[in-house]
Amino acid sequence: MSRRLAWPLAVLAVAVAALLSLAVGTRAVPPAAVLDALLHDGSSPDALVVRSLRLPRTEVGLTAGAALGVAGAALQAVTRNPLADPGILGLSQGAAAGVVLAIALGLASGFAGYVWYAFAGAVVAACLVYGIAARGRGGASPVKLALAGTALSAMTAGGTTVVLTSSSATLDQFRFWQVGALSGRDAGTVGRMLPFLLAGAVLVLACARGLDALALGDETARALGHRVALVRVTAASGATLLTAAAVAAAGPIAFVGLAVPHLARRLVTSGGYRAVLPLSALLGAGLLLAADVVGRVVRAPAEVPAGVMTALVGVPVLVVLVRRKGAVS
Amino acid sequence: MEGAKGAGPARPTAAAPEPAPARPDSTPARPDSEPPAPAHPARAAGRPALLPSPHSLLLRPSPGLSLLLNRRSLGVAAVLVVGLAALMALAACVGQTFVAPGAVWRTVRGESTPYDLVVNELRVPRIVLGALVGAALGLAGALVQTVTRNPLASPDVIGVGHGAAAATVLALATGAVASPGAVPPVAVAGGLAAAALVYVLAWRHGMRPSRFVLTGVGVGVALSAVVQLYLTDSELAAAEQVKLWLTGSLNGRGWEQAGPLAVVLLLALPALVWAGRAAGPLGLDPETAAALGVRVDRTRLGLTVLGVVLAATATGAAGPIGFVALTAPQLARRLTRTPQLPLVCSALTGAVVLVGADLAARTLVPPLEVPVGALTSLVGGPYLLWLLGRGGRRQV
Repeated sequence: MSRRLAWPLAVLAVAVAALLSLAVGTRAVPPAAVLDALLHDGSSPDALVVRSLRLPRTEVGLTAGAALGVAGAALQAVTRNPLADPGILGLSQGAAAGVVLAIALGLASGFAGYVWYAFAGAVVAACLVYGIAARGRGGASPVKLALAGTALSAMTAGGTTVVLTSSSATLDQFRFWQVGALSGRDAGTVGRMLPFLLAGAVLVLACARGLDALALGDETARALGHRVALVRVTAASGATLLTAAAVAAAGPIAFVGLAVPHLARRLVTSGGYRAVLPLSALLGAGLLLAADVVGRVVRAPAEVPAGVMTALVGVPVLVVLVRRKGAVS
Repeated sequence: MEGAKGAGPARPTAAAPEPAPARPDSTPARPDSEPPAPAHPARAAGRPALLPSPHSLLLRPSPGLSLLLNRRSLGVAAVLVVGLAALMALAACVGQTFVAPGAVWRTVRGESTPYDLVVNELRVPRIVLGALVGAALGLAGALVQTVTRNPLASPDVIGVGHGAAAATVLALATGAVASPGAVPPVAVAGGLAAAALVYVLAWRHGMRPSRFVLTGVGVGVALSAVVQLYLTDSELAAAEQVKLWLTGSLNGRGWEQAGPLAVVLLLALPALVWAGRAAGPLGLDPETAAALGVRVDRTRLGLTVLGVVLAATATGAAGPIGFVALTAPQLARRLTRTPQLPLVCSALTGAVVLVGADLAARTLVPPLEVPVGALTSLVGGPYLLWLLGRGGRRQV
């Protein structure tokens, strides 16, 4: 495949995935009827299904996938670490702890209410994992980040388990959030998260050139006139905002942030991170929507949540990356 | 086996070019003016002045056999045994109904007392199981940490717990078994399979510990996705039951689970004696160990298999209890101050930690029982983070 075709193909893939996401499901809607439902205010059952159920779901998939893709690319550049990913870094468990706390204390119910607590939990977890892994000799190495994420995950999981085993009502609500899925989100989900998504995207894109320079090493980046610490902090906080918003909207979704940037980097020929970041957004959106659509089909009429599908697809990617020479210092 | 030295002549220094063969002390003693040739460590074995450290204790029951023990390790082991016994006795007395120590003793000896149900049926089996599981986890942690040369690795990190959980959940979902407590063999098989998968996937021209750990983390994430799928699919009651099992709990477990675990521990004893000897050189860097004549990859595989079998059996008996395997060997080594992870003391420390944690889980919030696995995670997580942040000599 010629690499010049990467952009049009990515756009096409996202469009096809979005269309499939609107059309495929327990009630199959023909593409013509989908367009009709989107463009006109029909009140046929098909139109209602598309507009009230599948449209919010597709929106969440598009934005969460794009956010995770960009966040993964930025995190991998900042940590100079091909294995950085929100799931491995413990952000998802942090968000989960926030949600459990919210449910158990009766602060929120329903996916719409969880959003803020998930957001806060993910941000706190991000700060802790970075802070702990960066201490000590050698800075935030891949293994230290992964282990700090694992440790924090285990610790918060212990805390949430105490709550979940003692209160079955909490478990009943939480287990559906925890799995990471696009279904059951209401129409306002994306709107609530949009400010954070935009802020995060702006922060990350603003330092795209700085991320290119970071890849050359701190010394060289400094010699080229970049403020290394500023670039790091800006990009990392942007990525954290994006991840937290995505997890809040869709639940913990593994491996999109890990696999997509690698794919994007292979497809991009020039332009560095100014090209990798937007392409990661496109590919992330396409991948998450595709996983969701496949999850609806493989066990019909039941659904496999998108979070499970991405985890099952993502692990082979992780293994290949780890086995490749130089991935692990 | 303590201090990782077994039968065989004492090695005076680590610089011996190859492990000294067991040799009868038939060589005539040289006059003191002649310095002992460094190439013949066996000759030097007869000289008590050349023991590796002032804490060492050399036992020679017969001419062909000698045991090198560490005085401090012996002392620590003795203290741990006494502490474990005291803790087990305390755990038998304390609970929702307090039973006086004298009454416990009479009940355990079989005299008829009103406490027969509480002590003999509920508490004693649970305490014994806790001690066995703790010991198995402590041993497994020491072995895996020796192989990866990384204080942060544990059987939990390389996928044993996740594999056991996923296998249990699959067995439940397919209807092969009725309740999560009834599936120790499935859990053991799942743990073994997951660890084997991680080992194979991480193998590439030899084993790199960091690759091992990262592959384990990834496989763990995928397996826990399977578990989550089951949790969302099932009825609430089934989900609660599985969630409780997944946390690891000694509640309602007893002789049924303790029996197989005790058998596995007994069968593993000869292998553990071998492991105590083989683990020593692996503490050095791989090149040095290979230069000393150790088959590094083969020894690593052996130690890993032993550790994973022990961890998987313990997980089958009590569910995945986090962090005991991680912390026990590190605590034990801080107590004995030996260069290697001490196996016997790790096992004893693991037993003390788990019996203590279970006692706390039973009594902290009286009407309620916290699952012991949640408690160990809550305490062990910060410890792991502290290890990471400390940036000490043994960082990855």
